[in-house]
Amino acid sequence: MDIFFQQIINGLTIGSLYALIALGYTMVYGILKLINFAHGDLVALSAFIGMTVFAKILGGDASLFAVIALFLITMAVIAMAGVALDKAAYKPLRNAPRLSAVVSALGAGLVIQNGIMLTWGPNVNFFPGDLVPNIVWNIGGTVVTFIQMLILVLSLILMIALYLFINKTKMGTAIRASAIDKDASRLMGINVDRVISLVFIIGSALGAVGGIFIGMHYRGITFEMGWQYGLYAFVAAIMGGIGNIPGAMLGGILLGLFNALIAGYVSSTWTDAFTFLLLILIIIFRPTGILGERVAEKV
Amino acid sequence: MKNTKNLLFILFFACLIIYPFVTEGRWLAVGITFLIFSIVALSEDIVLGRAGMFDMGHAIYFGMGAYICGILNYHYGLPIFATIPFAIIIPALIGICLAAPIVHLRGDYLLVTTLGLNMVFLQVLENDAFGLTGGPNGIFGIDSPSIFGFQLMSQTSIYYMAFIFFIITLLIIKNLEHGKAGRAFHYLSQDPIASQSIGINVRFYRILAFALGAGIAGAAGVLFAIQYGAISPEAFTFKESVLFFAIVLVGGPSSIPGILIGTFVMFVLPEVFRQFDTARYLVFGLAMIFAMVLRPNGILPFKFGKFPKFVREK
Repeated sequence: MDIFFQQIINGLTIGSLYALIALGYTMVYGILKLINFAHGDLVALSAFIGMTVFAKILGGDASLFAVIALFLITMAVIAMAGVALDKAAYKPLRNAPRLSAVVSALGAGLVIQNGIMLTWGPNVNFFPGDLVPNIVWNIGGTVVTFIQMLILVLSLILMIALYLFINKTKMGTAIRASAIDKDASRLMGINVDRVISLVFIIGSALGAVGGIFIGMHYRGITFEMGWQYGLYAFVAAIMGGIGNIPGAMLGGILLGLFNALIAGYVSSTWTDAFTFLLLILIIIFRPTGILGERVAEKV
Repeated sequence: MKNTKNLLFILFFACLIIYPFVTEGRWLAVGITFLIFSIVALSEDIVLGRAGMFDMGHAIYFGMGAYICGILNYHYGLPIFATIPFAIIIPALIGICLAAPIVHLRGDYLLVTTLGLNMVFLQVLENDAFGLTGGPNGIFGIDSPSIFGFQLMSQTSIYYMAFIFFIITLLIIKNLEHGKAGRAFHYLSQDPIASQSIGINVRFYRILAFALGAGIAGAAGVLFAIQYGAISPEAFTFKESVLFFAIVLVGGPSSIPGILIGTFVMFVLPEVFRQFDTARYLVFGLAMIFAMVLRPNGILPFKFGKFPKFVREK
């Protein structure tokens, strides 16, 4: 049973990372019907920016203030990068064939990925390890680190905040309305372009938190890691029902648990295959995901 | 107009024929890879451009062709030419089996499913399934093809072999364009429900598109295997699928010259800029964005017949 609880903890940790990143995918998809393939690379970029901000601007010593500043600065930078990405690569293609924007997103992903490589070098970089106290709890054989608890609690708070924002505020209503029908929202006086920018800001900022968490949890960060995390997060978004915000959260957690249990009990070299087989089965039998609503095809 | 187009094509083929006489070494290898990637991109186009299905896993069939050639040659000692039919038929059959349960999916869902299939395929290769695929290192030491006792060892002979495959592919696609299947693909890519209502078996033609694309890509895989004499999983990752996907869309879906230009832009140009080495993929990504922003339908989009005047001036 030790392995079981250990893998549950690990799964929850990585699952909340996936959930944070998946929110960026699902919000953009909900409103633009575009798979934002560059989102994963933005997440990778945030880990590198966090590292540099900490070393260069905050002087490299860990205090509560420095950690909070690190998060806020990185989130702001990545949010701006997300909006810039939208304006440069996606906005000119709003009325183009849908796949053009997908190719543009793939190109943008390559640009960010190789921009990271040119700036920080192709080797593994190490995220500062002393940001938060290295406390390790041992609860009946199950090891839980302080960073894991931080990831779980902070992700939960962010997700609840996002849920409330989307469902209880005027801006959130505007986002939901634009996701359902952009033209009707325009007629109701919603500035859809602003809503799209807002979605990129929120999605990228949440992704940035995910990226910093990846750095804190795994330490080693590479310029290519965006593909890997992005792809898994994207799978999580689909599992939950793409375009559906609680779905992305649920999908992320479930995928994290599934991955951890497969790695713990079946085989760690086949995790990718099992994950994607599960994804394919979900798409075949329930294409709109766990929480998605079924929509009839329009003629 | 028609004549200039034909003239350009003849000029292009003439260039391809004399190419091995004027180059050697690395540039000849680039030429071979250009031909191979063009074949794969053209086969991807049958699925993506003509039949309008978002397939982001075409490296599966390309890799399957290469691995079937490698396995049959290395483990069972079949001569290369004898492996070619297997490398066409098996990917086509597997293409049918994989496509059958998923062709009804809409747009992005199909894209994600095919991408997922590619990840599964990659893990099967990397984990040395059935002890045949050689794990992460792949298979090393594939024979060179021989015909009537002559060993076709040199790069030049492989180039001409690829050239013949390339011409056959173009002929197949040219025929498809004017044939019943090609027209059916075009209708169903524009509007599946309307095409069903005029009696096109949408499901049958979609699976047919996958089978055709997979078969041709499998043949290209054989060429890839003999060009390098070795195969390894990293040549068939989903990044390769993304490359083929991007070639078709940057060049222009359904347009043969467009796809050839796409292959040139996406594959040959990065080779030309190899001296800038590290920065080249950055430039490459920027080029993808610019190409799409400036020409959202591809560099050389396919031109369909004009509508009559009274329709256009509505």
